[in-house]
Amino acid sequence: MTPNSEECINILNQAEVEYVVIGGVALVAHGSARATFDLDVCYQRSKDNIEKLCRALGPFHPRLRGAPLDLPFRFDPKTVTAGLNFTLATDLGDFDLLGEVAGLGFYDAVYKSSQIKKVENIECRVLSLDGLYKAKSAAGRDKDREALKEIKGLKELKERLGEE
Amino acid sequence: MTPKQRKLAYELITNPPPGSDIAAAKDYGIDLTLLVENLDLTVVERLRKLYSVATFLEKMRKSSSIGR
Repeated sequence: MTPNSEECINILNQAEVEYVVIGGVALVAHGSARATFDLDVCYQRSKDNIEKLCRALGPFHPRLRGAPLDLPFRFDPKTVTAGLNFTLATDLGDFDLLGEVAGLGFYDAVYKSSQIKKVENIECRVLSLDGLYKAKSAAGRDKDREALKEIKGLKELKERLGEE
Repeated sequence: MTPKQRKLAYELITNPPPGSDIAAAKDYGIDLTLLVENLDLTVVERLRKLYSVATFLEKMRKSSSIGR
C-alpha cells in the first residue's frame, strides 16, 4: 500500500524522531517524475530515537513485509536495536526503515548529505541529489540506471535555473 | 519558478548544451518536460501528485490481478 508521505512525515515530526527521507520520495521532493510505492527513511540509532520511532509507528501495526503472517514480529525497541534495516507494511502504507544506506553509511553520514525541505508548514529532512546519486550508484540495480541519468540531469537543470 | 526561469528551463530541455548532463538524460530517454513541470510545483504539491499517481497505479494493479 502506498503511504501518504505527508501524513507519515507529520507523525515522525510530532514524535520528534530523527530521520532523513531517502529513496524515491526524496527524489520526488527534489522534482523527479518517478513513481514510488513506499517511503524509505534512514533513522538515527540512539536508544532514545529508537524508542521515539517505535512509539510513533507502533499504533500503525508495523509488520514485516512479505513475511508469513504467522511469523512472530514485535516492533519494539528491542527488535529495532537488534536489527538494522526493516522493510515494513504498516496501516499507513509500506515503510522501509534503514539504519544504514549503501553508498553513504549510517545516519550521521546520511544526515550530512541531507537538506531541509519545507512541506507546507512543516520541515522535513531529505537526502540531497548528490546523496541520492551515491546511494543509487551503490545499489547497482538495473532499475536505478535510469534514475542516475535523471538525477544528474535534474541537478544540472536546477543549478542552471539557480534553484537550490 | 519565475517566468524567466520557466523560459530558460524549456530552452535548456529543448536544446540542451552539448555534453551536458541534461543532454545525456535526454539522450537516455528521460522525459525532461516532466521534470520542468515538477520544478514548477512546491514540494508538497510534488508529494501529493506522487501519492495520487501511486494510489491510482496501485488500484490498477489490484484490479488487473483480480481480473486475471
